[in-house]
Amino acid sequence: MWATNLRIIGIVLGVLALYTLIANKIPQVQSEVPHALTLGANVTPEQLVTAGDQLFHGAGGCIACHGLGTRAPNLLTDEKGQGPIGARCGKREAGKDCKAYLYESLTNPRAYVVSGYEPIMPEMGRTLSPQQLWALVAFLESQGGTVDVSGSDIPPTAGPGAAAAPSGGGPGKIANGSTDAMTIIRGAGCLGCHKIANEGGAIAPNLTNVGSRLSQALIRESILKPDAKIAKGFEKFAGVMPKTFGDQLTGAQLEALVQFLSSHK
Amino acid sequence: MTDGLLVLQVAADTTGAYRDFPVIGSRAAIWIAAEIHLMFAAFVLGVPIFAVVAEAIGIFGKDQRYDRLAKEFTRLLLIAYSATAIWGAVLVFLLSTLYSKFWAYLTAIFGASMWAYVALFFVESFTLYLYYYGWDRWKYGRSKLVHLGLGILLNIWGTTVMFIADSWLTYMMTPPRDITPQTAPTSIKLWHAILNHTWMPINIHRLIGNVVFGGAIVGAYASYRFLAARTDEERAHYDWMGYVGNFIAISALIVLPFAGYWLGREIYQYDQSMGITMMGGFMSWLWVIQAFLIAVLFLAGNYYLWVGMGRIPGAERFRPYTKWLLVVLVLGALVWGTPHTMIADSRELAAMGGSHHPLLGALGVMSAKNTAVNLMILSTFLSFLLYRRANIRQVVPWARAGTLIQAGMFILAAGIVLFFGIRGYFVEAIVRIGYSVYQVGAVLACIIFVTIIDVLMARGAQSLGAIQWGKMPPRSQYALFILAVTFTWLMGLMGFARSGIRQHWHVWQIMQDTTPYAATPALGYAAIMISTCVLIFLSLVGFIFWLGGLAEKSTFVPAVSPVEAPHVGD
Repeated sequence: MWATNLRIIGIVLGVLALYTLIANKIPQVQSEVPHALTLGANVTPEQLVTAGDQLFHGAGGCIACHGLGTRAPNLLTDEKGQGPIGARCGKREAGKDCKAYLYESLTNPRAYVVSGYEPIMPEMGRTLSPQQLWALVAFLESQGGTVDVSGSDIPPTAGPGAAAAPSGGGPGKIANGSTDAMTIIRGAGCLGCHKIANEGGAIAPNLTNVGSRLSQALIRESILKPDAKIAKGFEKFAGVMPKTFGDQLTGAQLEALVQFLSSHK
Repeated sequence: MTDGLLVLQVAADTTGAYRDFPVIGSRAAIWIAAEIHLMFAAFVLGVPIFAVVAEAIGIFGKDQRYDRLAKEFTRLLLIAYSATAIWGAVLVFLLSTLYSKFWAYLTAIFGASMWAYVALFFVESFTLYLYYYGWDRWKYGRSKLVHLGLGILLNIWGTTVMFIADSWLTYMMTPPRDITPQTAPTSIKLWHAILNHTWMPINIHRLIGNVVFGGAIVGAYASYRFLAARTDEERAHYDWMGYVGNFIAISALIVLPFAGYWLGREIYQYDQSMGITMMGGFMSWLWVIQAFLIAVLFLAGNYYLWVGMGRIPGAERFRPYTKWLLVVLVLGALVWGTPHTMIADSRELAAMGGSHHPLLGALGVMSAKNTAVNLMILSTFLSFLLYRRANIRQVVPWARAGTLIQAGMFILAAGIVLFFGIRGYFVEAIVRIGYSVYQVGAVLACIIFVTIIDVLMARGAQSLGAIQWGKMPPRSQYALFILAVTFTWLMGLMGFARSGIRQHWHVWQIMQDTTPYAATPALGYAAIMISTCVLIFLSLVGFIFWLGGLAEKSTFVPAVSPVEAPHVGD
């Protein structure tokens, strides 16, 4: 019986050892915690690029998608003959320079979804601090372009989620405070997902006739608390729409938007 | 994320938010306590399902062996319950002392459900005592049905307890989206927190997983007793028990991937980035290991059946087929284990010749993997079918037509699986995902209809000889051990995947882990932890089995007439 017992113990230990060995032989990837950055006003572009490089290849989790060429555009290598991201970022959106485009792509990634890819990128402002976001922008600019991020772009102290827009945060910074509804809609990136008339995407409810479906109060609620009520058929996109418009729109902008949408019947 | 998070982080960083555990650290201490508690919990939840089903078969099939089998396992439960409670208490004490702020947060939301949990555990324990100690007293007539009712009640309590505990851990993974870092935990409605995205998928996944686990542990127990048996009668009994355990484990395993698919889909729907972290981020290699483990399960389970056919007269007719089944299983396992979208550095990408391997990359996509796993499931089902039919010859007049229809169903199911597998390469991802439903549907329909036909065809079948229970080579029993160890290890691995996708968050994007252990470790470290937990658990289970043997002599039954020995499912 002792021989049987020893054989059983041997098999159990052997199986455990085999699995442990295999798991230790494969590439070891640890999910790092994003380290807080303390970048002062005198931070150099080189320091920003170095910090961004570490984030991009580490705790930022960027390489899980960018670089594979399947889930998201390649950023460090050529993408469809346009060069790396630093070389092409300034040409992506008319009137938007590279810095503003990259920053908005990080904080509101659904504003500009590159054709052929799904809108799967999370809002990085939820998990990264403004320092970290700006470091990433600097690193991406350095990939074939010119780094123009400086210490003055970075707010003095803030944590994740306190992300500031390129020229500062707070209400009225969408569409420079314009109260023209279509300007707000374009400036806030709504058309990345919603369609109005023949313009816009199709992964969120069509707003062309939204006034016939929703009351003004519900439209207002949907802008301020997008997940409070999810439109039928769009349940799988719950959580996608930013919940920051209450902070970013002025009262006048919000009301202009509500009036505009409710009139679309 | 906002000021609220900062407030929480500041609070969490203050003295007393965390304490460290000597030598191994607080994360390892919690890991071991939680994992072993979970393994015992799976055992004490899975085995009662097993026991009550066996008792019901005993009652309605009028086969005493099943009744005794059920009682033998219920006896082991008594000790296992104590172990579950002890490890649960260890976990609570460690959480409350090492992660006190986080624990306070959870209790502020789930306090009421924690009291219900304790009360139900209490009720469950006493139902178990009644169930076990009343076995011989309520043995006949209506009282036996009452006894069976107690077993069902035991399962209801156990399942409810599990559902409650699942709500705590799924809240940590997928808290409702309207809850933010600044939401005061006391203001969160309990039912709202319970009804989070992954609660029900985890419940169902664990329910099925527990049956698999219970069957595997039963199989390991039986194989140990088989190897230690001193008489042919004892050997025959434990050979049969090992077969039943393996049958239940593999049957439930076939369903488990579908529940896992639902869970994965819910995770993606909740947060795409979480899904990507799980499937293609730093955890991408984990799925290659999982594929390897499941390949071991399929191969060991089938190997056990094929060896078992050696003790069935008439089975030699089917032996030539086994090599082809083996070919399908091995090829399926290789496809399933093919890496695809992995995190790789530029050097590795250059060595591979691109982001995907130029040749094997095509096999790493879900179209190929879904096809492979569905064909593996079909092959395993065919193994069971051949095993079932090994020692009988159907006498119903439509036997030949029935067999042809069965063969046609297999071919049709395999054809549908292959068709959608190949077509998946030419359509968009959102369409491709839907194809897996057709593939799964075809396989399940095949399993159901072929089984029905087989049962009808077996009516009045002529026996080709008795199953020679006990006439199994020892190597078949070691296969059952490998199954049990692999199931347990796989459970630990998938637990790491589920918990690890939260990364450095106690509660996803609401409460951050700010301990020195916040980084989610790589697979190598995780594997060492899992193996340690499995070793501790199996050692304790071995001790419990030994105690069970001391408490009462084996309840093996005298040999029944070999010709009457039924297969499970007859």
